[in-house]
Amino acid sequence: MLDSLLALGGLVLLRDSVEWEGRSLLKALVKKSALCGEQVHILGCEVSEEEFREGFDSQINNRLVYHDFFRDPLNWSKTGEALPGGPLGALRAMCKRTDLGPVTIALDSLSWLLLHLPCTTLCQTLHAVSHQDSCPGDGSPVGKVHVLGLLHEELHGPGPMGALSSLAQTEVTLGGTVGQASARILCRRPRQRPTDQTQWFSILPDFSLDLQEGPSIESQPHSDPHISPVDPTAHLTFNLHLSRKEREARDSLTLPFQFSSEKQEALLRPRPSQATSHIFYEPDAYDDLDQEDPDDDLDI
Amino acid sequence: MAAVATCGGDAGSVGSAVATASKSNVTSFQRRGPRASGTNDSSPRLVSITGTRPSVRNGQLLVSTGLPALDQLLGGGLAVGTVLLIEEDKYNIYSSLLFKYFLAEGIVSGHTLLVASANEDPANILQELPAPLLDDNCKKEFDEDVYNHKTPESNIKMKIAWRYQLLPKMEQIRPVSSSRFGHYYDTSKRIPQELIEASKWHGFFLPEKISSTLKVEPCSLTYGYIKLLQFIQNIIYEEGFDGSNPQKKQKNILRIGIQNLGSPLWGDDICCTENGDSSHSLTKFLYVLRGLLRTSLSACIITMPTHLIQNKAVIAHVTNLSDIVVGLESFIGSERETNPLYKDYHGLIHIRQIPRLNNLVCDESDVKDLGFKLKRKLFTIEWVQDNYLRQERNIYPPGFSYLLKQKDSAWGEGSLQHSTFLMSFLAKATAFASRLVRHSEPLKQTGSGRICQAAGPRLWHDGRRQEAPGLLGIPP
Repeated sequence: MLDSLLALGGLVLLRDSVEWEGRSLLKALVKKSALCGEQVHILGCEVSEEEFREGFDSQINNRLVYHDFFRDPLNWSKTGEALPGGPLGALRAMCKRTDLGPVTIALDSLSWLLLHLPCTTLCQTLHAVSHQDSCPGDGSPVGKVHVLGLLHEELHGPGPMGALSSLAQTEVTLGGTVGQASARILCRRPRQRPTDQTQWFSILPDFSLDLQEGPSIESQPHSDPHISPVDPTAHLTFNLHLSRKEREARDSLTLPFQFSSEKQEALLRPRPSQATSHIFYEPDAYDDLDQEDPDDDLDI
Repeated sequence: MAAVATCGGDAGSVGSAVATASKSNVTSFQRRGPRASGTNDSSPRLVSITGTRPSVRNGQLLVSTGLPALDQLLGGGLAVGTVLLIEEDKYNIYSSLLFKYFLAEGIVSGHTLLVASANEDPANILQELPAPLLDDNCKKEFDEDVYNHKTPESNIKMKIAWRYQLLPKMEQIRPVSSSRFGHYYDTSKRIPQELIEASKWHGFFLPEKISSTLKVEPCSLTYGYIKLLQFIQNIIYEEGFDGSNPQKKQKNILRIGIQNLGSPLWGDDICCTENGDSSHSLTKFLYVLRGLLRTSLSACIITMPTHLIQNKAVIAHVTNLSDIVVGLESFIGSERETNPLYKDYHGLIHIRQIPRLNNLVCDESDVKDLGFKLKRKLFTIEWVQDNYLRQERNIYPPGFSYLLKQKDSAWGEGSLQHSTFLMSFLAKATAFASRLVRHSEPLKQTGSGRICQAAGPRLWHDGRRQEAPGLLGIPP
C-alpha cells in the first residue's frame, strides 16, 4: 500500500512526531517518483539543501528541482536568486505550469509553511496545486500532481490539523513499536468510504522503501482489541430470549382472537353446568340501596 | 382558545357560551371588499409553481428536499425562503449526497439552480447528480431492492400483532409521477445529460472568481463571502425571483446550494483557529443570506463542516441563524460501528432545529433516534429501534402495557417490574396510534404560552364531570 501512495494523486500528508521522524520516508518517496521519471520539485524550508540531497545518488540529484527557502527565507540578501513571493509564490507558480506530465512536489516541511503563512491561504493554494488535473482547460491530459507534505503533528493544534486532513487525499501517520516503524494510511477517495491500513516498513540507507510484514498485521479498520462489540442485551433484568421448550409452548398457544374450530364448538355446545355465578354482597352502612330498580319501567 | 379551556366551574355556563361563540369564528375583524387586484373570486390566489405545495399546517409554500423521508421529518418539506443547514459527517460522503439530492430535485421540478462551491467546479457537481426514478421502472427497482434484504425471520407473519402487519413503515415508497412533490433518485446512475442541459443553472466557483485579483490580499477573510453574496443578489435581481421584474408571468423557485461553507477554502479561518479575525464573517454571511432569501422565492441548502469548527459558540450562532439544521453522523471509524444496534445503518441523522415560521409551535417529529442507510440505489432514513425490536414485535405487540418478570426467575415466582427498554417502543407505538395526544409537559419550554394541564377528570362537588382538557391538546 505504501508504494502505491503516489498512484492516487492529490495531497499526501506525512504526519510524523518526535519519536518517528518522517523525513526519511519523504526522501524515499521522492526518490521513487524521481526514478519513475516524474518531475520533482522540492520546497526546502526546514533543512539545508546539502542535508536534503545527502544520501541521493547523482542521477536522482540531477532530477530534483530544489527551491531553497532555508538559507534566506525572507530574501534579505537580495541576491535575486531567491524566488519572488517566497514559498507561497513558488507554490502558485507551480499552479500555472504549462508543461504536461506527472509532477511531484515535496514540501519540507508543511509545518514550517503553516507557521509562517495563514492557514486559509495555504489551504487554498494547496488545493489549487493538487487539483490541477481535474479540469484541463484545453482538453489535453495534464499529468497527475502529487503533493507530499511533511507535517509535524505535535506542533499544531487540532484546528489546522483537521483543516489539512479534510483537504488531503491520503494521510500517513507514522508510528510503530520498538525497532519497527509503521505507517497508518488513511485513504479518502472522493465519494467512497475511506480505507485504513497499516503497513510496516523500514527505510534502507539509500532511501529505498522496504516493506515488511511486521510483528502484527492490522488491516481491519479501526478495530481495537480492547473494545468488544457492545451487546445491548447484557444487563437486562428481563428475559428476551426463549428456550426451545418455551418457543414450542408459545407456538402451540391458541391466541384469544383466533377463532378456531375447537373454540367455536366449545361456545356452541350447551354448557353442562349453567351454574349461575353468585354475587355475595354485604351492604355497607353507608350504602343507599334503592330497592326499586329505575330500569324496571323500561319495557323492552 | 387557551383561555376557554381553563375557565373555572363557576363560569361554566358562560364558558360554554364563549366556547360555542369562538367555535363559530365570529370576530370583529371583517375582510374588506373585493381585492384591489380585481379578481372576482373571494378565494386567495394560489401560487402554483411546479414542485411546490402549501404546507398542511399553515399554508406555507414548501419545496421538497429531494428525499421524501427527510421531507416527512421536516414537516412536509423545506419552506421557501429558508435555509437548510446540513452539518457534514466526518468524511463528507453522505452530506454531499443530500446536497446532490436537493439539486437533482430542482432539476426535475424545473427550478433554477445556483451552485456555489470552493473545491469543486459546479459543472462537475451537476454531472454527478443521481438519476430520477420515474413511474414505470420505479416499482420494479424497489421490489427487487426489498426482496434482497428479506431475511427468513421477516417472512413469518405476525401472529400476535396481526393488526400491525399493515401498519405503514416510516416511508411509503410509491412511484410518483414527475409532476408531484418529492421524487426518488437512483444513486447508482447519473442524471441524463439532456435534463441538465434543459435546466437553467448558475455556478459560482470561488477559485475562478478570486484568481484574477491576486494582487489584492486574497486571504481577506470575508472576501469570498462578499463575492458570493453579490453573485446571489445579482441572480435574484436579474431573474426576478424577488418580484422585481413584474413582466415575468411564470414564477419559479431559485434553489441555492452552497458546499462546504466555512471550510478554509472559502478563506474562512473558523476551522483553523478558535479566536480568529474572521470569527464573525460566517455569521454575518448567514444573516445577509437569510435576508436575501426571505425577500425572494428561493430556498437554500448549505453544507458545513461543523466537526472542524474549533469554537463551539460559533456552531450555536450558526444554528440560530439557520432555519432547519440537520446533523449527519456517520459510523465510519467510530466505535459505534461495532454496536449491534447500529449494524444495519451507516450513520445517525439528527434533526437539530426546525423553524417556527408564522407559527407558535413547530412540527417536530416525535422520533429522535433516526438512522440512515445508503443502499445501492436509495438513501433511507429509519427509526433505529425498529431494527432491534422488529423481532420483539412478534412477542410483544405495541400499544399494550406489559409487566415483565425478572430474568432469573423466568417463569416462576418473582417480582414484577416495568422496563424502560420496552417503554421506548411502546412510546413510539402510542405516538403513532394517538397522533393528537401531546404529553402533559411540553418537551421544550417554548414559552409560547400554551397551558397544558395534567390528565385526570375534574370532579366538582356536584358530581358533574367538567370537560378535562387533559392530554388532548386541541390544535389551534
